[in-house]
Amino acid sequence: MVLLNVDGVECCYGSIKILENVNLIVKEGDFVGIIGPNGSGKSTLLKSISRTLKPHKGTILLDNKNIYSLKSMDLAKQMAVVPQDNTISFSFTALEVVLMGRSPHMSRFQMETESDMAIARKAMDLTNTWHLAGRFVNELSGGERQRVIIARALAQKPKILLLDEPLTYLDIINQLEIMDLVKSLCEKEGIIVMTAIHDLNLAARYCNTAILLNKGKIFSAGRLDEVLTSENIKSVFKVDAIVKKNLVTNSLYIIPLSPPKSSPIKNCAIHLICGAGTGTSLMKILLEEGYSVTAGVLNVLDTDFETAEFLNIPVTSEAPFSPITEKTRKDNLAMISKASTVVVTSVPFGHGNLQNLEAAKEALKKGIPLFVIDEVPIESRDFTQGQATALLEGLKSGGAVFVKNQDELLHMLNVSEEKLKMAKNVPPSVADHLKAARAS
Amino acid sequence: MSGDKVEGTYIKRSSRWKLILVTLIVALLVTILVSLNIGYASISFSEILDILGKQIPFLNGSINSASISPTSEAIILQIRLPRVLAGALVGAGLAAAGVIYQGVFRNPMADSYLLGASAGASVGYTVAVLYVTSALTVIGLGTAQLFAFIFALLTVFLVLLISRVGTKIPTTTLLLSGIVVNIFLLAIETLMELRSGQALTGIVAWLAGGFSNIVWLQVWTILPFVFIGIAVTYFFTRDLNMLSMGDDTAQHLGVNTERVRIFLLAVASLITAAAVAISGVIGFVGLIIPHMTRLVIGPDHRILLPASAITGAMFLVICDAVARVATGAAELPVGVITALVGTPFFIYLLRRRKTSYSL
Repeated sequence: MVLLNVDGVECCYGSIKILENVNLIVKEGDFVGIIGPNGSGKSTLLKSISRTLKPHKGTILLDNKNIYSLKSMDLAKQMAVVPQDNTISFSFTALEVVLMGRSPHMSRFQMETESDMAIARKAMDLTNTWHLAGRFVNELSGGERQRVIIARALAQKPKILLLDEPLTYLDIINQLEIMDLVKSLCEKEGIIVMTAIHDLNLAARYCNTAILLNKGKIFSAGRLDEVLTSENIKSVFKVDAIVKKNLVTNSLYIIPLSPPKSSPIKNCAIHLICGAGTGTSLMKILLEEGYSVTAGVLNVLDTDFETAEFLNIPVTSEAPFSPITEKTRKDNLAMISKASTVVVTSVPFGHGNLQNLEAAKEALKKGIPLFVIDEVPIESRDFTQGQATALLEGLKSGGAVFVKNQDELLHMLNVSEEKLKMAKNVPPSVADHLKAARAS
Repeated sequence: MSGDKVEGTYIKRSSRWKLILVTLIVALLVTILVSLNIGYASISFSEILDILGKQIPFLNGSINSASISPTSEAIILQIRLPRVLAGALVGAGLAAAGVIYQGVFRNPMADSYLLGASAGASVGYTVAVLYVTSALTVIGLGTAQLFAFIFALLTVFLVLLISRVGTKIPTTTLLLSGIVVNIFLLAIETLMELRSGQALTGIVAWLAGGFSNIVWLQVWTILPFVFIGIAVTYFFTRDLNMLSMGDDTAQHLGVNTERVRIFLLAVASLITAAAVAISGVIGFVGLIIPHMTRLVIGPDHRILLPASAITGAMFLVICDAVARVATGAAELPVGVITALVGTPFFIYLLRRRKTSYSL
């Protein structure tokens, strides 16, 4: 059983403490994701484990042996490192680079044997680099070179593989291929894998263990689902995030929300009449702009409904795929009456949700300002033989403001808000004066 | 090219390497022979071969010594042969040192004088010429040459000492302190030259490098430095390959980077100091020969080191031959020739390559 034991490690650059009291036990089969914001000490932790940066305090034991008292060669037989920066300036061929991985297993006076070649070949087959064998590494693409470097690490036949941000220069398919490869090594060969990784979703998808670092200390460590919680993410990354289970990959996934803007909370409640995803981005933007948002009526399972759930937006909802009942209609009207503005998106209308347009009409009657986003022509989204079209016409003549898209809506909302402010802040005499000036 | 084909050529490469080395050695021997033929007195090839054959045990019986004139024998054995061999040894040493420095520093600008060996030697030589009156000779080296050797080593040691941070010697610090110490010593050198009066011509001539006053003893003196130095380094060529991937990577591949680096720098500096002591500061060889060789045979130090050494030997022998005949009476300094001959050839190699060259 391979065991890595990090005990009370403390690392400094000059007088600045980078790592403080780090304690870890990592064992065979662990695929450890080291996560944390920039400067939290991820790379430093890997450096101290790979013997590049000697800790000021604490010990690092690999199979109960202090790695700092091992010979370089002996450590290299057990531990391989894939560095963050993989540029190689000498024009060695890929095969030559991979064969360098055999070096710790060779004596100073030896040439590579056939078995070394066989091991190198297997490593290159695994990383899908065999066809690159004769190419110069300095002329390979970032992804190809990274796979060659991983092949070199595999040729070392390590018990523990350290990767420092291995995916930085890679496109998505290369990222997935490399993580798949590393995961299978971890599972099949029992290699301990530790990787510093920025992408929380890739960490969530592949790692089974996580270490969350914050300002040089371990904030949380353990099973992935224990570490990757929205509370932890919030307190370390200062970002609101939704953590859900992805049913396709059967792994956690994280949706970070934009960091809260400095824009002040506006004393303005907007009710959205939307559906089928037409309100999704608007909900997020309005929240970020500081509006309070409600929505309805939406069917459960509708995209907009799910978004509203994510964003904790109050919704009047109806059972899945069901027309709006009398009760929900009334609930919705009650919600609308509390709003200061109502917005209708370019949602398709059928008999099931035609009630929502009626509700908008009610709002207009009550004197609540009504905006209609007319992005998609009503003819193409009216499935009610013209009833919806007629209702919209009615809204227009009743004083609803029609805008072309979201941007125009936001602009109009700002304008009307400024007007409101002015009405509040500016003494009436001046406002009257202004009005008079405009009239003339 | 498919992987299997590459694997095949890789496995066959040790025989390819042998072929390269044998070819180069033959070429070097021919160069030496031709170079022995070049000079003021004309001595035919057959006579040269007879003279050389006479020196070889078991072979000398079959050689008719009647055809050899004593003058020719003296010229070849006492003047030309030591000179040519010294040129070969210095060329091999400087080129090998250049390979080591470039590999250790991963820097194409690195050459055998990077850590101040040349500047140190210059100062040492000048100090001896100007201020040391006692004439002593140790193992074939005169006072000034001895001073050059010692000063060269002291300078490298000083540079290493300056750039030490804790137990480590970071590459960039080492490079910079090498450059700075070089500049400092050159300033001192200039100062001394300005006050040297009559001795100036001699100093400048020596600094430019040359082999005009070589005696056998000096050849024997430099021989172990070059041979043992290259032989020892050969066992570290795989480490040099890994060092060229970067210090961290080398360490992760099991190289004790600090120790190996210091050791190799020490070896390279000893070779350089010995070379400079007997022949003065010959530039270009330690910079360009490793590049030339790398351009042709690739960056693997296991072949690069010996191939560069032989190429360097050949190159300097040719340059010295040119120096001897180029201007009749007054010899050109060989350092001038190396640059004049080497640069066009190097440009040709650079331009010939389809892809951009990186170290």
